[in-house]
Amino acid sequence: MWVVLPLACLAGGAFAIYLVARLLTARNELLALLTALVFATALGALAPLFRLTRAGYLPRWGHFGSGGAFLRADPGALMVAGVALGLGMLVTVYSGRYLAFDDRIESYYPLLLLLVTGLVGMVMAADLFNLYMFCELMSIAAYVLVAFRHRLATAIEAGFKYLIMGSVGTVTMLLGLSFIYRETGTLALPLAMGAPGPWSRAGLGCFLVGLGVKSAIVPLHTWLPDAHGRAPSSISAMLSGIIVQSVFYALLKVCLGLGFPARDLGTLLIVLSLFNMTLGNGLALVQTYTKRLLAYSTIAQMGYIMLSLGIGLRYDVPMAIQAGFFLLLAHAAMKGLAFLCKGVCHFYCNATRIAELRGTAARMPLVAVTFSVALAGLAGVPPLAGFAAKWFVLSGGVQAADALGFLGLAVFLLNSLLALGYYLPLIGTLFTSADPSEGTETFASVQISLWMVAPLLILGALVLVMGLYPGFWLNWTAGAATYLHGLGR
Amino acid sequence: MNIETMWLVTILGAPLAAALLLPLLRGRGVRMAGWIAGLAAALSLAATFALLPALQRGDVPALSFEWIPTAHIRLSLHLDWLTFPFLVTEAAVTLLAVVYTWGYHRQDERTPFFYALLLLFAVGMSGTTLADDMFLFYIFWELMLVASCALIAIWGEGERRGAVALKYFIFTHLGSLMVLVSLMVLYTATGSDSFSALRAGVTLAPALVTTVTTFFIIGFCVKMAIFPLHLWLPDAHAVAPMPVTIMLAAAMLSMGTYGILRFPLSIFSPAQLAPFVVPMMVAGLVSEIYGALMALAEQDIKRIIAYSSVSQMGYILFGLGTLTYDGVAGATLHVIYHAIVKALLFMCVGLVIRATGRRRIAELGGLGRAMPLVAICIGVGALAIAGTPPFCIFASEWMIFSGGFHTAHIGLSVLTLLGSLLTVAYALWFVGRIFFGARPEGLTVKRLPWIMVAPTVLLAALALIGGLFPAPIFDWVAHGLTLILGGGW
Repeated sequence: MWVVLPLACLAGGAFAIYLVARLLTARNELLALLTALVFATALGALAPLFRLTRAGYLPRWGHFGSGGAFLRADPGALMVAGVALGLGMLVTVYSGRYLAFDDRIESYYPLLLLLVTGLVGMVMAADLFNLYMFCELMSIAAYVLVAFRHRLATAIEAGFKYLIMGSVGTVTMLLGLSFIYRETGTLALPLAMGAPGPWSRAGLGCFLVGLGVKSAIVPLHTWLPDAHGRAPSSISAMLSGIIVQSVFYALLKVCLGLGFPARDLGTLLIVLSLFNMTLGNGLALVQTYTKRLLAYSTIAQMGYIMLSLGIGLRYDVPMAIQAGFFLLLAHAAMKGLAFLCKGVCHFYCNATRIAELRGTAARMPLVAVTFSVALAGLAGVPPLAGFAAKWFVLSGGVQAADALGFLGLAVFLLNSLLALGYYLPLIGTLFTSADPSEGTETFASVQISLWMVAPLLILGALVLVMGLYPGFWLNWTAGAATYLHGLGR
Repeated sequence: MNIETMWLVTILGAPLAAALLLPLLRGRGVRMAGWIAGLAAALSLAATFALLPALQRGDVPALSFEWIPTAHIRLSLHLDWLTFPFLVTEAAVTLLAVVYTWGYHRQDERTPFFYALLLLFAVGMSGTTLADDMFLFYIFWELMLVASCALIAIWGEGERRGAVALKYFIFTHLGSLMVLVSLMVLYTATGSDSFSALRAGVTLAPALVTTVTTFFIIGFCVKMAIFPLHLWLPDAHAVAPMPVTIMLAAAMLSMGTYGILRFPLSIFSPAQLAPFVVPMMVAGLVSEIYGALMALAEQDIKRIIAYSSVSQMGYILFGLGTLTYDGVAGATLHVIYHAIVKALLFMCVGLVIRATGRRRIAELGGLGRAMPLVAICIGVGALAIAGTPPFCIFASEWMIFSGGFHTAHIGLSVLTLLGSLLTVAYALWFVGRIFFGARPEGLTVKRLPWIMVAPTVLLAALALIGGLFPAPIFDWVAHGLTLILGGGW
């Protein structure tokens, strides 16, 4: 029962908020507050599950076939869900001011809640059909939210591109689902069976492609720069921060649960990560729009996560799997913070290009500092979260036993160096004074609303704390790593 | 926590506390920034000397506590004889640089940040030498880089300071990454990140020993600016504000030497390091000759002294590469003496630039009569760097060459001796061009603040005293050498 409670909270909250918005009040601040309350309640409902899973027991809900369940809470799913709810809460508070000039906010908050509902359901799904269903729920909410600023042609185009590519992905998943059902007669995960037969393997391939589209695995990533670049910043924070990563987690669970050998999955992940890292960092270097730069940075960071998890699975190194999850957590905080800061710059100073960020330190010193913290963290500068993550990834990675692992590690190090080429100039731009002759308007010092300051400060503090005291967070990822490692054996 | 540990914490804590408090100064408090920074630097130096009696008694002041138990990461500080000379050098150079800044830096509302970054730079250097575990070592190593990079990017001279800072960061970071990989391999091999585990002995496969040593040496040679990894140095030294240049050249370059002494030379035996003798000696020789030739060719007086640093680091690497007692002792002594002389030369160059407003050697001349005190100081510096007795560098160069002649590679040693003729050439040519000869058109000499001249004279005196009374410093170095190469001295 505990398992379904967060989902019920979120879904029920979505409908409730919509009714409130249509019938009672359309005030942005009030809706934001109520939505944040729903997130908080869902977090509270999630909390007992952490305790329950600590002993290795996996709570279930629902009956599906013989002995199957609808939902099963495993440590990794809880970690991802917890991050999603926390980030969602901060994004909602931020939206309390950020959406001041938008319309149709009565659909925004319910859609956000449905987005997170889909996410939580997807990572906790215990069978393929529920996974597909919740993934679709999450995706549809995401498509609409990306195109939320529907008066802008670019936003509609981005949302439409995301819709088409995402739908191709989910349809492929459905096809794969039918192949697996044809061979095994069941959809429950994990499948207790020996080596997968040809139909199951075809189905597995379909799932890899389908979920790979959504988790931005090169070359299926092409929707990401547009979607994350043109969505409202609060939504970009959610998308880049946790949605892409949650789909990746679901991908891992599905592959390992369907009998894909851990060693082969690890090899595949390492090879794919090479492309993600290089392409993400390489293309980020040439961007002129801030949000597209951050979007490509997400592709690169996904590459790092894939590398660490790949090394952990291929060479049986639990530390590397833990490092991958830690990087997932750290990235959620840092990328979320980066997008929210960019949103503040856009909201108050109408800055979309990187060059327009000049003078931020003079006008909004707090935003400049927190944005720098996020970027420095992503670049891996100690003592921030990104450095601790890099340390753990490296300490797991040097335990790789052959050439492929070392190649991946070398590419990882070179890429983190390459990434400095766009992170550092961006930090520099924030602290450069605006040049009036270049056409960027100079504004007086700006008072930023508390609705926006609070999430910025909380996330900034989190990035710092995760870097200074990573032990606590590392322990949190241990359960997820053990579970995933166990799935692969 | 006894008195020794308290002094140990003060060495790092005083500058760190000042660096964190300085940005809070507002209004009239800005004028106090220089005094606070000077006090912190003085405290740090005093604390270092306060621990000298404890070291001479045979104690080893140390401080350590658990940080991330699951990853076996402890944070430890540790002061032994190997650390001591480097720490004293660095603390003294910082104090002198801060005093020089009192006269050099133009006061404005950003001055507290300048001093704060300067102190953070110092903390990075002190922390690197004091760190007894890999995590802290790497964090302080990166802190050195981040602080100095920020100083160059914000207060550097010229339009290109942003590009120069980026080049400096990326180049040096590449070296840091190589060091990090080697540290990770050691961390995996010993199971913990503490250096005490390394001191107890580490067994690695021969191929791994070669890889680790290669990465360490290349990584630290980037920091020491050995040809061809020196490319960051001329621009960084030329563009940086003078106090930063002094600290970069006199103290930070020697951190590479410390790294080579602390890691490959202390962990592995002479037999394991034998393949690296010739490469290191050759690299040192090439660097020495290249630096001297470039110093002869350069036109900007700051760049001349910068290339002189490249040349002198070549001597040091040559001495380290001989793996003989004389060579390594000479190299360590050279670090200290070079710090004195290089700081002296840069201060004099700063005085010349401040007095005349000119940097190109072709536009200078005949200043001997107008600035007699500076002329004497720079004469002392030039003679010292050329290795003339009774100045200090004569002793260390003698030992380095002696070490070279103790190896089987007499040819290389002869070449190094001949290379020192080039040092004499550029040193005397430099002094002759600036202080003798006819004065060019329109060359005016302004009065110099005594606060800038005083440390210069002090350093000149130290160069002489160090040469006449080498025993105390030599004593420290000798103690430290018993800790290297398996205590085989």
